[in-house]
Amino acid sequence: MAISVWNEILEKFQIGLTASIEHLKERDIENIPGAKERLIEKFTQIRDYLPRNNGELLLSMINDSIQARLFPNIEDIVPAFNQILNARTPEQDYIISELIDGFISSQGKTLFGGTDRRIIDNLVEAFKKRRDFKIVDHQFYAMFGDPNKPRKYVQERLEKIAKFLGLQMEILHVEQDVRDGKPKDYKFYSFPEEITTILEGKYLQIQDNGEKVITDEFDKMVFISYFLATQSVNRKNLDKYAVNGICAIFALILLLSFMPKLEVDETNPINRDDHFNSQTMSIIPKSWLTKDILSELMTPLVQLIAYRVGGINWLDKIILTEKNVSIHLQAQFLLKDVNKWVLGNMCRVEIPIFVEISNIFSEIIIGTERGEE
Amino acid sequence: MVRESWMEIYPYYQNYIQNMLPLFEQSLKFVQDLQTEQISENTFIMEYLAKEEKRSVGKVKAISEFSALYRRDIFSRIWDRIEELKVSTDLEEIRDLIIDDFEEAIEFLDFLGSLTTPDQTQYESTNLYQIVNFIQEQIFPKRTSLQEVYDHLIEKSLQYYEIQRHLLMPTSSYREKDEGFETPALHSNHYKLINEITSLFNLDPNYLESPKDPNLEIPVILKDEIFLPFIDSIASNESINLNHILKRMELQLIHNIFIGPTMQLIRLGEPHNYFRRESSSETKERIIPQLSNETLVLMYLAKISYKRGFISKELINWISSIVAVLVYNGTLFTFMSEENIFYTIFTDLKTEEKILPYMMKLICFDKYLGIDRTKIRDSVQYRKEIFGAIGSQIIHMKKLIEEVSNYIFSILEE
Repeated sequence: MAISVWNEILEKFQIGLTASIEHLKERDIENIPGAKERLIEKFTQIRDYLPRNNGELLLSMINDSIQARLFPNIEDIVPAFNQILNARTPEQDYIISELIDGFISSQGKTLFGGTDRRIIDNLVEAFKKRRDFKIVDHQFYAMFGDPNKPRKYVQERLEKIAKFLGLQMEILHVEQDVRDGKPKDYKFYSFPEEITTILEGKYLQIQDNGEKVITDEFDKMVFISYFLATQSVNRKNLDKYAVNGICAIFALILLLSFMPKLEVDETNPINRDDHFNSQTMSIIPKSWLTKDILSELMTPLVQLIAYRVGGINWLDKIILTEKNVSIHLQAQFLLKDVNKWVLGNMCRVEIPIFVEISNIFSEIIIGTERGEE
Repeated sequence: MVRESWMEIYPYYQNYIQNMLPLFEQSLKFVQDLQTEQISENTFIMEYLAKEEKRSVGKVKAISEFSALYRRDIFSRIWDRIEELKVSTDLEEIRDLIIDDFEEAIEFLDFLGSLTTPDQTQYESTNLYQIVNFIQEQIFPKRTSLQEVYDHLIEKSLQYYEIQRHLLMPTSSYREKDEGFETPALHSNHYKLINEITSLFNLDPNYLESPKDPNLEIPVILKDEIFLPFIDSIASNESINLNHILKRMELQLIHNIFIGPTMQLIRLGEPHNYFRRESSSETKERIIPQLSNETLVLMYLAKISYKRGFISKELINWISSIVAVLVYNGTLFTFMSEENIFYTIFTDLKTEEKILPYMMKLICFDKYLGIDRTKIRDSVQYRKEIFGAIGSQIIHMKKLIEEVSNYIFSILEE
């Protein structure tokens, strides 16, 4: 049963690729000679090779590259968090940041959006100010105004984020507060001990006198990575908007990795544009970003990822109504700073995850063409 | 709102600095006078603090409370450092290290105090004027034409695009009405629209006869298409105010269906290869768009920079606070190392919020940023919010802070 669902979606993806190839043949919007042909060739290869052996190749890309770096398939939060933290690079931080944006744009109001994102910034500041790796509610409220009359939204957001992140809370009861002499409860928030242990070293230093001081490396991405780890561990309980958002971004990462690198004529102005760095960036075809092609490819790819990452539970949550086009088109917004438009050319920044996925595919094709399979 | 004069703001700016400076000088003198063996015990420090903090119980003066608070902070840091080092380091050496830290802090406060003068007319000779001008040159240039501003921003964007974009996007939660007269800040939905417009122009635009020149075909995209990816009316405000938003990037709505570049955008963008011309017939030329990520964002910034008298309250507060933070942190970076035991006193919000709001007002004057200083908010809560947010975004600014610091070094060497 499970294999037949997987094969069914694989087939849909193949049909989508065939339809995309037809669209490409009908219209050429590329401005680099040969780009359309390269893209057709690549799509044909993907259609022919990717579904082989029940999509073994695709499974490897999703499991070994995407999940391993961004969404570990582990039930224990500690190694999951550790895995995401260890995979961090500045470029990957962009992707993770965009992943969170994906949650936001798909759900409208979730954690880490708008005001909450600022609250995360303030959480970092609050940890910086103390030497025990704890946040005190009163001190945190002081960042937003009078700590004795904290705004309701600040209180609510702090509680919500602390709960969401799984921060542990201790209450210190004071019989007589110095301000008004009345009894008062102070709340202290901290990471669970096993998480603190992971952060020791790069993000947190324990002084000889026992003080815990965070380093400059400790930034909001630590919280966001922890949030991602909690999401990956609790993947069965995510709502449909989050599932669609995450899968759309993973699909986009796959699509970007599939794109062939293009060569441009040396007289092309992009070679003289300082924003283009041929060492770290590749020009890729742009027609895949058009609505006709993206909508053919994204939905089945999103479904494939959903099924692989979250099983039938996630697959059922993929929206297949009219909204799906919009939700999946949001992918166009994403990874905006990892990939750049330079003088009308789509440029992919060659970060490790793209290179790795691209290599898996190229090696298999080369192997197959040599008759090694 | 009261329009405060330079002479009214200047003493407020100096107030905190001139209270901190003697505190550091007196404390330095105390440490210099200590015998080496006296350093290893904190009784001398405690006695000194008790003597200095002795004050009338019935009469609380703000200044003595302030001094007591900071003096205690200074000495607790000194004692922490002694405790930390006394096992491994010679006491004489510890005292020298602490004295070095004091000297750095005093130099920093000295420089801040002498950044500008009470006489507004003497601006050209002040360090504040020179540093603000240096920062403006990188991210918010003053020029006599939009073309010059845009060209300059693009030239500087290779190094500073992140901070140029950051200058347009406040993180505070105040919502502004988009009324068309004053240019508001760029919020996330605007930014997504810009991304979408850039993509659609680069992907597959249509071509229409230019409303201004019948011999020219300009690229256009469908208005409705840019809103397709938004669900649940998320961008309904932007949809209503689209015309205003487009004008700020030199785009135009044509027949209320299409979006196309104005002739001004084409003219300004052509030297940077954002547009090229192609003959579409014997008499007609077609304008082909080839936009970069920076094309429209920097046009938005260029227009704000050029017409800086017409920007929104939120943006005025944000821009002036960023420039003030750059001046302050650049100075801090010049004079103090992060290992200095007093460093975090000067990065603490309670210190920053006593200096930066007045610096923000000073740098709004005509010869500096030239934006409306009467719109600087005085609310304590707002200050906390804005400086808290800026502090966490410091990574974008780090490079420019280092450059500001290099510039300050060059001033000092002159």
